[in-house]
Amino acid sequence: MTEQTPHTANDAVSSAAPRPLVVAVAGNPNVGKSTLINAIAGTRLQVGNWPGVTVEKKEALFEHNGRKIRLVDLPGTYSLSPYTQEEIIARDYLVKLRPDLIVNVVDATNLERNLYLTVQLMELGIPVVMALNIYDEAEAKGYRFNLHGIETMLGVGVVPTSATRRSGLTELLDKVLETAAQPADHAPRILNYGDDVETAVALLGDTLRREHPALFALYPERWLLLRLMEGDERLRQEINLAQDALPEEIFHHLRRGHGEDLEALMADARYSQAAGLAREVLFKKEERRVEMTERIDRVVLNRFLGIPIFLAAMWLVFKLTFDLSKPFGDWINDMAGGPFKHWTTVLLGLVGAPDWTVSLATEGVISGVGFVLVFVPVIFMMMFFITFLEGSGYMARAAFVMDRAMHAMGLHGKSFIPLLLGFGCNVPGIYATRTLENPRDKVLTALLIPLMSCGARLPVYVLFVGAFFPNNPGTVIWSLYVLGIALAIVMGVFFKRTLFRGEAPMFIMELPPYRMPSFTSLCLHTWEKGKHFLIKAGTYILAVSIFVWFLLNLPWGVEHKKDSYLGQAGQVMAPVLSPLGFGTWQAASSLITGVIAKEIVVGTMGEIYAPKKGEQKKPEASFGEDLQEIAVSFGKAVKESASNVVSTFGVSSLAADEKEDRGPLKATIQQTFTPLSAYAFMVFVLLYMPCVVVAIAMRQEFGSWKWFGVAFAYQSALAWGMAMIVYQGGQLLGWGV
Amino acid sequence: MHLAMMKPGQQGKIVHIGTAVGPIKRRLMDMGVLAGEPVRVEKVAPLGDPIEVTIKGYNLSLRKKEAEGIEVEVTP
Repeated sequence: MTEQTPHTANDAVSSAAPRPLVVAVAGNPNVGKSTLINAIAGTRLQVGNWPGVTVEKKEALFEHNGRKIRLVDLPGTYSLSPYTQEEIIARDYLVKLRPDLIVNVVDATNLERNLYLTVQLMELGIPVVMALNIYDEAEAKGYRFNLHGIETMLGVGVVPTSATRRSGLTELLDKVLETAAQPADHAPRILNYGDDVETAVALLGDTLRREHPALFALYPERWLLLRLMEGDERLRQEINLAQDALPEEIFHHLRRGHGEDLEALMADARYSQAAGLAREVLFKKEERRVEMTERIDRVVLNRFLGIPIFLAAMWLVFKLTFDLSKPFGDWINDMAGGPFKHWTTVLLGLVGAPDWTVSLATEGVISGVGFVLVFVPVIFMMMFFITFLEGSGYMARAAFVMDRAMHAMGLHGKSFIPLLLGFGCNVPGIYATRTLENPRDKVLTALLIPLMSCGARLPVYVLFVGAFFPNNPGTVIWSLYVLGIALAIVMGVFFKRTLFRGEAPMFIMELPPYRMPSFTSLCLHTWEKGKHFLIKAGTYILAVSIFVWFLLNLPWGVEHKKDSYLGQAGQVMAPVLSPLGFGTWQAASSLITGVIAKEIVVGTMGEIYAPKKGEQKKPEASFGEDLQEIAVSFGKAVKESASNVVSTFGVSSLAADEKEDRGPLKATIQQTFTPLSAYAFMVFVLLYMPCVVVAIAMRQEFGSWKWFGVAFAYQSALAWGMAMIVYQGGQLLGWGV
Repeated sequence: MHLAMMKPGQQGKIVHIGTAVGPIKRRLMDMGVLAGEPVRVEKVAPLGDPIEVTIKGYNLSLRKKEAEGIEVEVTP
């Protein structure tokens, strides 16, 4: 991790006031940590990434009782071991940046396993306040806690909370301030690991103090010693300690009494402490009753029903994500293309702006902004449902059900949902890969998503199928979807054996109890994500849109599209495409613009092959009428979205894309393509590089252009190769006539 | 006998986390899969892998490949 202080720039502004109290929030996954933070910080949360990694970082700065608090959410972890990305982030933050206080969110219904992390947090010597969360559910189960017992035995403050009901939050913050006011009085207790370990720890401490005294200024003493005891490789390398620098006699006694495996010994000792504490402070009746989660799982994970239920749930998520958002996306598209362009043209005309600025403003800027906004509804919907699936506990079940099939492709059970969303639009698919924890699984899934034929490719298929295969359109389009899936399987296996060879995948995952996520927290989370997309991705997309406008319109005053930079680029590219059967500058230029979004291929073809005669002048509408239209059509979008929920499954998008009259265009492409080259062209459109928005999403999720570069390279090769096989193979078989 | 050989509904006790090494072993230990710990196999996924077990009072799923490295003895 890069060097960074926990007290960032904002603090310098208010240098007169005391610096904010830095509070790190740590806890296991699935304990309601996000909900708790959302409930405390609300919209003051800032969402970003931890430096250099794809793990999400949330922060909030706010005041409680006149004291400024900076809340830093650490990734959810079960431990502070040195292996997973999340654990390394959490421990580096805690050890190197030393927050003033740790809030440890603990699931009261699963005290023992949660205390295992608490024990490790206490070793850092930083005051800890425990939020005993999901307290209401634990009480309903008949659990009783000796809160005072926890406080005295651990030396940490304890506050029962229920994040979903927003209870205990003020008390928690009060306790945080109270503890922070007297940090010296609130040092966590030092837990005893037993005589053998403690003797070794003391010896190790003496040795280090003698030979590496500087270390104790950099690391919390107890933590450093215990971690070295268990053979923490990462820490040892970090402090430049040779493997044999520690005298063997320190461990000799220990190894003789407890075996060679000191790592297991320490894990065992920590769990014993956790178990001992849980026994002391938690009272529950020992009766095994069938709980709700178990009852649901009997059906949901049933040998015969499991997969049908999973498929039904996925179908529902897919339909809701895309059907609910589509009318709003269309509405935004129509508004950007209609009234807004119109007004801008009129306004610029009034001030006497030259024609090219009008074109730049409408075709470059407004189209770009509209294009960004069109994605907002679908990203919001996707985030909402994904967060719901995760928060409710079903995501883990989905992974459990699908893992076998996904694992065959080198993927993880959780990869299924991002891939599925990819059929609607690759962009939300890429963003949905954040549900995968392991970076390897995340990247591999994202690399395969572009092979899922998204909705934007459909208009291209519809145009060509309508022109060349009017007798069996369904079969031809279906074959393209199947081709994409088949190639994803092949590429998955290929990447598993090449790029990701030797990386051990693992699937050791908790199946958390089913819980109803809080609606407010769901909405907040969705909003954070949507906002993030708008700001980060929006800027890039706008820039690209303006760039393409220049490509299309420069050199200034081009009469014929062939002479524009785009046309020139198309002419350069055409020979490369001729073995595929469509080596014309028109086809090449359309493919270049299709990089923005694949459906644009159709629009560009329309402009190049069949230019509209004369400018269509819109009838002069007044601003009042336009405003009215905006409102009315928004109302229609709401209605349509609502009716989509109840409507049954139908291939509505096919019909919708035919609304524009493509008659002249079809006639022209019938002259320049053959059925064989048309099919090769569709294969190319299916496979060739992911669109700009996908590229930006990949950049945003993985922090560099590297993985987009890989996707670009393999897809270009695949597209060219497959289209070539189709065209040349078809010709050999005599289908080319 | 290893964990992947146990049938749903069977209970046992972990004897040894045998062949697992590095991150996988550590992850298992961090999740409470430790020698001496009682374990119960709940379910096998519809496609035959992974499996679900109860350990330390919560539900854990793991692939058979990972479960094969965990030595157990079945308790009646």
